[in-house]
Amino acid sequence: MSEVKFIGWHGLVVLVLYAVFIMATCIYLSARQTRKDSLKSFYIGGGGLGAMLLFFTLYATQYSGNTVVGYAPAAYRTGYAYFQSIPFFIMVIVGYLLFAPRLHVLAKKHNFVTPSDWLQKRFESKAVTLLGTILMAYGLSNYLLEQLVAMGHAISGLTAGFIPYFYGVIFLVIIMFIYEWLGGMKAVAIADTINGIALMIGVVSLMFLSLRYFGSLGEAAQFIVNEAPKKIGVPALETSINWISIYILVGVGAAVYPHAIQRIYAAKSEKVLKKSLSRMAWMPFITSGMVFIIGIIGIKAFPGLDKAQSEKLIGMVANVIASKSALNYWMMMILYTGIIGAIMSTTDSVILALSSLISNDIYGRFVKPGASEKDKVLWGKIVGICIVLLLLIIAWKPPATLFEIFVLKFEILIQVAPAFLLGLYWKKLNKNGVLLGMIIGAVVASGMTFAGVKTFHGVHGGVIGLAINMAVCILISLAVPSSKDEEKKAEEIISLNA
Amino acid sequence: MDKSFREPIRFKWIWVVLAIITLAGVPWYLPQGTIYPIILGFPYWAFISVVSTIVLAVFMTYVINNYWDMESLVEQDEEGGQDK
Repeated sequence: MSEVKFIGWHGLVVLVLYAVFIMATCIYLSARQTRKDSLKSFYIGGGGLGAMLLFFTLYATQYSGNTVVGYAPAAYRTGYAYFQSIPFFIMVIVGYLLFAPRLHVLAKKHNFVTPSDWLQKRFESKAVTLLGTILMAYGLSNYLLEQLVAMGHAISGLTAGFIPYFYGVIFLVIIMFIYEWLGGMKAVAIADTINGIALMIGVVSLMFLSLRYFGSLGEAAQFIVNEAPKKIGVPALETSINWISIYILVGVGAAVYPHAIQRIYAAKSEKVLKKSLSRMAWMPFITSGMVFIIGIIGIKAFPGLDKAQSEKLIGMVANVIASKSALNYWMMMILYTGIIGAIMSTTDSVILALSSLISNDIYGRFVKPGASEKDKVLWGKIVGICIVLLLLIIAWKPPATLFEIFVLKFEILIQVAPAFLLGLYWKKLNKNGVLLGMIIGAVVASGMTFAGVKTFHGVHGGVIGLAINMAVCILISLAVPSSKDEEKKAEEIISLNA
Repeated sequence: MDKSFREPIRFKWIWVVLAIITLAGVPWYLPQGTIYPIILGFPYWAFISVVSTIVLAVFMTYVINNYWDMESLVEQDEEGGQDK
């Protein structure tokens, strides 16, 4: 990223103007409509997000800055097999199709605010709710940490190091806290809309300008055939297995992200949810698809980069384009602002989801049951700030040892999936099965990560953990069945009839 | 239950078709290392993936619009009062 030779103060002015514009728009459009004494109003926009806001908040939350900055280098190193980054974003929509239709109906029926509301309603077990909440909060915190680090790098890229990494992050975090504090989910959705549009403009222009200055995809393909045939030939079987494993990991994992589930709750109606999701099925083509093409073109434009050098690919591409004309220079600035915006839009959604888990579930259920909604919202905001501060310290000065505990994200989050995927449809699934499944799944997935074994025959640790988790859920639920009364109650909860 | 009620997970054929489209887009069944022909800048196997991905997006749009309709139930709920 640091390769772009932007003039520092230009970047600084653009960043400050953009951030203040977002903050002012969000506050103006959302603050008066959001009730801070209502969990539902604050955390899921009162369950009334319309088609445009819902679509953009889904889009901007799902595609982070890493989709641009990290995926182009990955395509550069992997070659055409990285085409998988387009279908795997559609697999997230397939993942939604497994549970969103029913969960949306039940969420409206039972007034759910957080994913843990479902766990509590369905399994009526403090242990299941607490463990599920902890796994989700833990995975989210690490996801947040990753976004904060990425944000710092993007800011120092935009301002050519003019703003030190840490101060840039602090500035944007303060901006996000202000609009979130005042407008909750509604403000986040409005910010996501602005950020999503900036990201789209940035990526589309970067791809077309790359084609113009570095040659067509066909020319790149011919170059790769001659210079790096492994990147263009049919990959080994293990790569294909890995490809399918990623479909499962991302498809199920990204769909059950707490902030993704909350967007199912936040949809104003089924029609709105359907409209947003069917549009989302096409977004990979103009986001990860374009980034993939930039990565492939980069193989010809910047041949022979090692792993560390290739990580700066987007910066190199942008630098060449920016040097061609003043218009290009400012277009690349929009791209960088879009990248920062994409990171912001993922970060603000994660902060809100994390804060809702803390206020509604940890505080409201375990610390002070019976607290007023106003109290819960306030508590969630304050603890949310404390967690972000803690993560900022970790991001600033990463601990020398045990850094692995901050790496686990998808692997851990995905372990709550059976409670949704099986729990929504199978009345026999009970708390014992879910609890033991989550524990064993999380231990297997994190154990593989700590042992440095990322995949087994191409299958990811998180997917292996999920498969074992599912099997345990089913076997324990059958071996130690619930009482007839409990089963009847479960049947009533998952029943769609009023 | 309402006649127009449709939940995607209940239609097994949807998931079979999804599995076929998805697996067709992954080159596990093609001979390793082969490249030609190159079509629109994509080696043939990646071009198959491109086509399968477009088909996947079309199919998802079709399923979401035609096999997901539970709105009548939500309306019923709203009319009948909500369970708090």
